This record gives sequence, C-alpha cells and structure tokens, in this order.
Amino acid sequence: MKNLPLYILIICSLCGCNNKQSDIVNLYSQRHYKVDEIQYEKFTALTGIKVNVVKSNADELIERLKNEGADSQADIFISVDAGKLQKAASLDLLQKLSDDIKTNEIPSTLLDKNNLWVPLTYRARILVYSNDRVNVTELDSYESLSDEKWKNRILVRSSSNAYNQALMASVIANNGIDGAKKWSQGVVENLARSPKGNDRDQVKAIYAGLGDVAIVNSYYIGLLLSSEKDEEQKAGEAVSVFFPNQGENQTGTHINISGLGIAKNAPNLENAIKLINYLLSEEAQKTYVRNSYEYSVNKNVMPSEIVQKWGDFRIDSLDLNNLGIFRKDAIEVFETTNWK
Amino acid sequence: MKIGGKLVLCLVILLIVLPILSLVLYNLEVNPIITILKKPDVFINSGLNTFYLLTITVFTSIIFGLFPAWFVSLYNFKFKTLVDFLMYLPLAIPTYIMAFSYGEILSFTGPFQLFLRNYIPALSPFFNMDYLTIEVLGCVLGFSLFPYVYAASRISFTLIGQSYIHLSKMLGLNALNTFFKVVLPLSTPAILSAVFLVSMEVLNEYGATKYFGVNTFTTEIFKTWYSLNDVGAAVGLSVVLLITVMTLYVFEQMYNAKTKINYKENTQLDYTFKKTISATKPILFCIIPILFGFIFPFIFILKNAIDNILSFNFIDTLSLAFNSISLSLLSSLLIVLVLFYILFVDKEYKARASKTLNIFSSIGYAMPGAVLALSLIIMSSQIKNNITSISLIGTFFLLIHAYFIRFMAVGKSPIKSSIDKMPDNLSESAKNLGLGNLGLAKKLYLPLNKFALLTAFLLCFVDLMKELPMTLILRPFNFDTLATKTYEFAVEEMVDLSSVYSLIIIFVCSVSLFIVKRINHN
Repeated sequence: MKNLPLYILIICSLCGCNNKQSDIVNLYSQRHYKVDEIQYEKFTALTGIKVNVVKSNADELIERLKNEGADSQADIFISVDAGKLQKAASLDLLQKLSDDIKTNEIPSTLLDKNNLWVPLTYRARILVYSNDRVNVTELDSYESLSDEKWKNRILVRSSSNAYNQALMASVIANNGIDGAKKWSQGVVENLARSPKGNDRDQVKAIYAGLGDVAIVNSYYIGLLLSSEKDEEQKAGEAVSVFFPNQGENQTGTHINISGLGIAKNAPNLENAIKLINYLLSEEAQKTYVRNSYEYSVNKNVMPSEIVQKWGDFRIDSLDLNNLGIFRKDAIEVFETTNWK
Repeated sequence: MKIGGKLVLCLVILLIVLPILSLVLYNLEVNPIITILKKPDVFINSGLNTFYLLTITVFTSIIFGLFPAWFVSLYNFKFKTLVDFLMYLPLAIPTYIMAFSYGEILSFTGPFQLFLRNYIPALSPFFNMDYLTIEVLGCVLGFSLFPYVYAASRISFTLIGQSYIHLSKMLGLNALNTFFKVVLPLSTPAILSAVFLVSMEVLNEYGATKYFGVNTFTTEIFKTWYSLNDVGAAVGLSVVLLITVMTLYVFEQMYNAKTKINYKENTQLDYTFKKTISATKPILFCIIPILFGFIFPFIFILKNAIDNILSFNFIDTLSLAFNSISLSLLSSLLIVLVLFYILFVDKEYKARASKTLNIFSSIGYAMPGAVLALSLIIMSSQIKNNITSISLIGTFFLLIHAYFIRFMAVGKSPIKSSIDKMPDNLSESAKNLGLGNLGLAKKLYLPLNKFALLTAFLLCFVDLMKELPMTLILRPFNFDTLATKTYEFAVEEMVDLSSVYSLIIIFVCSVSLFIVKRINHN
C-alpha cells in the first residue's frame, strides 16, 4: 500500500512504451480526419501491420522529433503544410525517400526536388465571393485584392494561421519581399473587419453581408455545402468559388499539400515504405477524395462531385519548399503591414 | 520524518525546476530584453492586448461572482441550494469549448441571429455585427471564470461572522453600506486570490484567443516558437511572462499578509442578516451569470450532440471517456497523495515547507501548458543523453509529471487550509497516546481532512478532464482523450461533431463539482 504511487508510475510508464515490434509503423501526424483512420484500418487489414499514431500540431511534433533524436520511435512525419515538411527536412529530421516509393502518377510540380517528402493530397487557397454583390468579372488575382475597389470588402483569417503564412510565402517567392509588403498593405487597407475566426467564418461573414470576398481553403467550402445545418448550407450557397491567377502571365492558384516524410531514424523503415505506397495507391487516393474535399495527387483520380463542379484550374508551379523557406519573411511582412 | 518530508519536498521542487531549467539552459542565447527590443511594437501591442483582455475578464468575473455570492451567503431564499450549485457549473465547461460555442451562437448562421431574423426581423440588422472581438472574448472568459471569484467570496462572506455585521448594523449602516464598507474590505484578500487565479487562466489561454483573432502575450510566444522557429526568443518571452506572473503573485501575497484579518474564530455564522427574502432579487443577480456561463452554451452543445447523434460511434466514445476519466483519476490521486504527505510533515514537524511549496506550485500554474510540455520533452532528452538510456517521451510517466507540475496549485489550497485549521494540541494528545507517524496520518489527519482531500482530488480531476495542450503533445501512441478529440474536430472547423465528447466532459465535471459542493455544504 505504502508504495502504491510507485507501482502506479511503473505500470504507467510501461504502458506507454510501445517497444519495437516487427509488425508496426509509427506516425507523428498533423492529419486527424476520419478518412485517415479508414486508411490505416484498411492498410492493417491488408498487411497485418499495425499503425500507431500520435496526433498534434506540426510544430510540436517537429520539436518532439528534434528532441527525441536518434531513438525516436517515429517512422513517418505527416503534415498538412509543405512549409512544415520543409522545416522538418531543414532540421535534418527526415531521410531521403527510397526508390521503392512509387511516385510516377504524381505531377512533378507537387514533388520535392530534394526527395525528402512526398505529397498525399492537396488543397487550393481560393477566393469566394458573394453571389449578390460581386460580379465574377471583377475578380482576377490575389494581387488585385489590393485594388482600391475592394475597400472594406475583403475578409480573411488572422496571420497566425499556417495557410495564410503559406500563401504569403508564395507571394514573396513570386513577387519579392517588397511586392509582398505592398500587396499585404493593400489587402489590410481593404479589409471589411480585422482578421479573425476560421475559414468557414469568413464565408458566413459574406452571407451576413459583412464583406464581399474572402480568401479561404477549397476544403472548407465543401464542408459548408455538405453541412447538416440549413443555415450553413445557405452560407455555402450564397458564395461562388473563384480560382485566382489563371491568366496567361499569371502564376496559377496557390495550393498547399498534405504530405509525409520518413523520419531520419525510422525504426520500421520497411513498413513505413509499405504504408506510403499504400496511401499513394489509386485505391487509397480514391478513399481520400471520397471522404474529404481534398484533391488527389494521383493524376488519374478525380475529386469529389462537389469539388468537380468548381471546374479545373491551373496550380501555381512554385517549388513548394518555398512555403517553408519564406515563412519567416512572411511573418515579418504580416507584422510590418499590421495584418493581425 | 522531518527529513523525509523535506526530501519529498525537494524532489517535488526538482520535478518542477528541472524542466524549466533545461528549457533555459538548452537555449543559452536567451535574453528576454534583446527579444523584446528586437520588436518593441509587437511586444507592446501584445502586452496591451493582454492587459485589456485581463481587465475585461477580471471585471466581468468580479461583477458576476461577487454580488451573487453576497446574496447566496447572507440571505435565505427559494431555490437557494440550486442557484448556489449552478453558480459553480461554468467551471465544468473548458474555456476553449465555451469560446468556440459562443463564436457559433453569435455568428450570422447561429441560433441568436437566426432567432432575431425569424421572430424580430426589425431588430436583426442591429445585431448583425462582428462578435469575434476582444471585448466579447473578455466577457466570454469572464463568464467562464467567474466561479473562482464566486467561490472565494462565498467562503469569505460566510467566515466574516456575526459580530462585524452586528456592529455595522448598530452603527446605522444599511445592507448596501455594510456590503461596501465592511464586508468588501474584509473580503479583499480572498477576492484578490481569486482574481489571481482568473488572471492565470487568461494568460494561459491560447485556443480561444487565436480563434477570436486576439494577439496576446501567449499567442506571441507560440508564434515566435513555431512560425519564426526562434526557440531562444520564445523562451525569453516565456521568462518575461513568468516574471510578470511571479510579480503579481508576490504582490498578492504581500497584500494579503499586510491585511491579515481576524475572522473571529468560532463566531456564530448563522447571523440575523440571514433572513428569508423574496427570491426575485437574488435570482435576478444570479440569472445572468448562470445563463451565460452555463445554460446557453450547454443547450447549444446539447442540441448539436442530439443533431449529430447518428455519427457517433458508441464504443469509441466509451473508450475515450474511459481514457480521460482513468488518467485524470490516477493523476489527481497522485497529486493529492504527495501534497498530503508534504503538508502533513510540514504541520507536524514545523518544516516550513508550505511557503516554498506555495511558490513552486504557482510557477507550475503560471506557465502556459504547451511551454511546460515542450520543456519536459527537452528535459527528458537531456536526461536520456546524459544520465540514463531510458527515454520517457511518449510515456504516461511524463504526461503525469506534466499534470503534476501544472495542477499542484489547484489541489494545494483546500488541503492546506484544512490542515492549518487543526489545533496543534490534537496531535500532541494523539502522540501522548502512543500514535506513531503512520498512525497520526491514518487515524488523525486522514479522517479530519478527508473532505478537504476529496475536494482537492475532485478539483484536480475537473481540471485534468479539461486539460488539452500538454496531453496533445506528450501523449503516447494511439491515446486519445475526450479533450484531444474535441480539439481535433474544432481545428477542422467541425465543432458540431465533437459535441458528444464536450457533453461527457461537462457531465463528468458537473457531477464532480456537485460532490465538492455537497461535501463543503455538509
């Protein structure tokens, strides 16, 4: 009885140690959707390999990987932002991908030039506009959002959000830091309200008449349109989707991937490769698009019905590592131009 | 025994100090001043925002905690027991769930504006505005945290006793003047302690502030750490935050020491002011905090849960509830056992440990959860590299260690105040009758302080059920709790789907608070 706490602690710490087994693969993942659970269950049913997951935000997982060093249990690091994969790679936390990983169906613009990470799905950072108050011909590019005609009409979430940071990093990579500052300044001056809320809140704000155009991720429009709540569906229907920067001399719409890399000291390397190949397979890619509103990285897999209705678009062919490389500069631009 | 107690205390201090030390030593380039000077604007802005948010929250929680406490403590009225219990319930709802719920409730597509559009269309344009503001956030946090002020004022008002009130009446003061001129000054130390707790919670808040787009000092720490990848600067900012909190703490302690109040021991508590009055006035004062702090968000979450009931997997939900409850039970038990041991030795052997314990437990409470979690990861890797080859990262051991540091302050107060009240001669007599240390603890301290121990245990349990940032980062593989699952849905902007999990958290916490209330009532 006297030593009860001690026993409890010993039992607890033992419970926590998942010691090396041959039939497991360990993931540090920022993805935590229902569809991921479905994928892992299917993979386990197919191969008998158990998928262990610890889910948190990407930066915390990177800190954990960094500190665990050589004896980290992690095999795969998954993020929903190419910038974070680049960050992990630059901290030497990822290893070169083996030739056994089948990437031949993935467009080369989505692949890492250094072969340290591979994409799973992607989303576009699009514009949505009020059906009542905006004529689609008024819209053009991200850059044109700084035009004076948009004064008090633009909605966007705060600069602490990773998707906005990635967008700003792409603007810096495409237009240089001064161009980005000018653009950011213009957008801030045109804001209908100070940046806040999440992506869905921006659409609701258009529906409420608080603003006319919002910068959001395509994924969340799909969520709104399929919501069980009438009012949310109405909000989704009150807006239309616009893919910016589609002109001939323009960059294409900014996208970001969710992707993965193999941890530097992955203890279950073979199983990790098997899982990655499974997730890139046509079957698994179909599962992704069927259960979420993301785009598949496999050229042969079409997006979900709702997403297909928005039509095709040209993606920005920028090397996605830039979303990480220019991250610090992006924050600085946000700070100097007072994008909250 | 005295040495044993001191050893345990040293061990506890080590458990708290080691992670913080490794955090600072790991980033030797840390210099808070340079960090701040690099970006004075950002620092001043986030500092001012934090101060403004604190002011609104503290003000709201005082208004809605203090006056209801006055009525409930000094008058009898219909439904008093129920009202008294409901006033504690906002503590059952995690602040981030409260903030997300209000974000939805007040939005254009939410029930409030929908109701106006459908039933009072003339009014609806006036209320179609942006509610995600620092002022609304301050009020939401105030509604979430006022029970701290309420609880402290309740205890203080009840302890003031008959003589002060009689005297004030004899000197011709009416009820209002008695409240402002006698009761309030006498209760200031208690209220100040509660305000300190409220401030700690606000300073630690991350999810709600981010959602409302409010840049506070804590959001700045995370931006520096994660987005700018500048660990040194982030640690620097954390140190500044820690120093601020410790200054507030010292100020509170000094003020309380200076204004030591003689509550008149053994005075008759059931004084004449406690007359039966009509329930209208007190209920009027209590109804706003109860409605906004509990009923509205609760109904909203309940409705979402019912709407989404078909998408829930019962077995999964059960296993999540089991994870949350068992981990919280185990950790609270551990915290209470260790605290009891230290405070027992302190009282019995005058080890003067409680002051040291006060300071160190406050440090744990003052650190943002995620910073604490990351410092524990750094500490573990240092230990692994330099001392033993066992890695604790990803084990329950480290997770419970984090809980221990963070929530020791929560469990300490009830146990300490109960043990402090024990007359010294009691244990002298027990010792003369031949009781050893174990016997003293078992046969005297345990039965006499059992309610305080249970209260401490349940308060820790409630906080642990709601805990999020540390569990997220430190948990082992495949381990989810109700709080982490709720967060996953919230991040993906699907708060509705997490409502059953929120509801279980609220239910379990409400039951625990009910037991706490019953214990202290009896």
